[in-house]
Amino acid sequence: MIEIKKLNKWFGDFHVLKDINETIERGKTVVICGPSGSGKSTLLRCINGLEPYQEGELIVDGTSLNDPKVNLYKLRQKIGMVFQRFELYPHMTAIQNITLAPTKVLKWSKKKAEAKAMELLERVGIPEKAHAYPANLSGGQQQRVAIARALAMEPDYMMFDEPTSALDPEMIKEVLDVMIDLAKGGMTMLCVTHEMGFAREVADEIIFMDEGRIVERGTYEEFFNNPKTERARAFLDQILE
Amino acid sequence: MFDAVARNFWFLMGGLGVTFQLSVFAVSGGILLGMLVGLARLSKRGWIYHPITAYVNFLRNIPLILVIFWFYFVMPILMGQAIDPFPSAVISFIVFEATYFGEIFRAGYQTISKDLINAAYSTGMTYWQTARYISIPIAFRRMLPSLITQSIVTFQDTSLAFVIGLQELVRRVSIVDNLEVRSIQLYGFAALVYLVVCLVGSRISRHFEEKGRKANIL
Repeated sequence: MIEIKKLNKWFGDFHVLKDINETIERGKTVVICGPSGSGKSTLLRCINGLEPYQEGELIVDGTSLNDPKVNLYKLRQKIGMVFQRFELYPHMTAIQNITLAPTKVLKWSKKKAEAKAMELLERVGIPEKAHAYPANLSGGQQQRVAIARALAMEPDYMMFDEPTSALDPEMIKEVLDVMIDLAKGGMTMLCVTHEMGFAREVADEIIFMDEGRIVERGTYEEFFNNPKTERARAFLDQILE
Repeated sequence: MFDAVARNFWFLMGGLGVTFQLSVFAVSGGILLGMLVGLARLSKRGWIYHPITAYVNFLRNIPLILVIFWFYFVMPILMGQAIDPFPSAVISFIVFEATYFGEIFRAGYQTISKDLINAAYSTGMTYWQTARYISIPIAFRRMLPSLITQSIVTFQDTSLAFVIGLQELVRRVSIVDNLEVRSIQLYGFAALVYLVVCLVGSRISRHFEEKGRKANIL
């Protein structure tokens, strides 16, 4: 379970996150949406300790990130993350991208890590690309390798930071299908995305953020059919155009 | 035309051998230390950043020949015993060249996006694991042409070690010249040797540059 309590963060004078409160239960899928600059990506980066925060508290499975002795490396092992621009290691093949952390961090044997990597590549539908370099993969394929790379650490949580917004339209579905499959398989997921079809299918909760605040939250139906705030309504009109 | 060279050919080639040895130590040591210097120059920790930056700025603003001299004459005072020219030259070169290689690596690390590093961290890798498997290899590949260029400069610079009596190529040319008195021929030969080695080096550099562009990693 991830608990976010009155979280506040500033970049210099800029107040990016304002009094964020949220609880993400095991097995749930939470979708975060909102206009750009509303603090969605920053929130994800705070949760796995990639960005510091100044006030409030973050607790992952009972471990508080406020504790100065917290081992961020251990914490990150159980939170996989997928980025907007894939961020595959350009000098490694797909399978090397996937096996790096299991062999170096978890000290798995190369054989075990490769077996796991192949199983994951099957799962994301591109086992034939195991030995291709990122430069020779399409955007959709790169993002699926990135998902496999995160899953290889057998994380308890998966965070997605606009995983489809750098993709051509015809590739969005292949990535979303993998994510839907994961959510239905019981993975706890936190997804920053504007893909409302995805949200409808798997989201247990939708959070709408604006200017660093959570201004609305609810199920897909509540949010989509009956947004309570003007800002959420305007946002929905815009992305549905 | 090259009679004096021909008579002393193997003696001179022995000098070239020393030049190569010193270059290999200077370049490999300079690159290894430079990788760390480059990381330190991007460190957010003041106690790492400031001393290393001072070291880089200091050495980049004084001539190499002074570093070689100074080290050779100061070390015996500090260590209480004389030090041979070769190890003395090797250490001065590594310490000096590392500042130049360090700046090349720093530029290389800066081409790596912050989220690529975040991606590595998000799989649980530590700072050092990320440096070793991600930042350093990528910077190394992207900066390979610059690294080769700096290596060629280092190779030429090793001739300065003649001031502390190291018998590298230029030193041996001057020894032969004292006996044979064929300055133009002998120094011309030395120039030719440097020219050939450096031209081959820049060809290699261009080859890697093109290879890198084709593989999409530059």
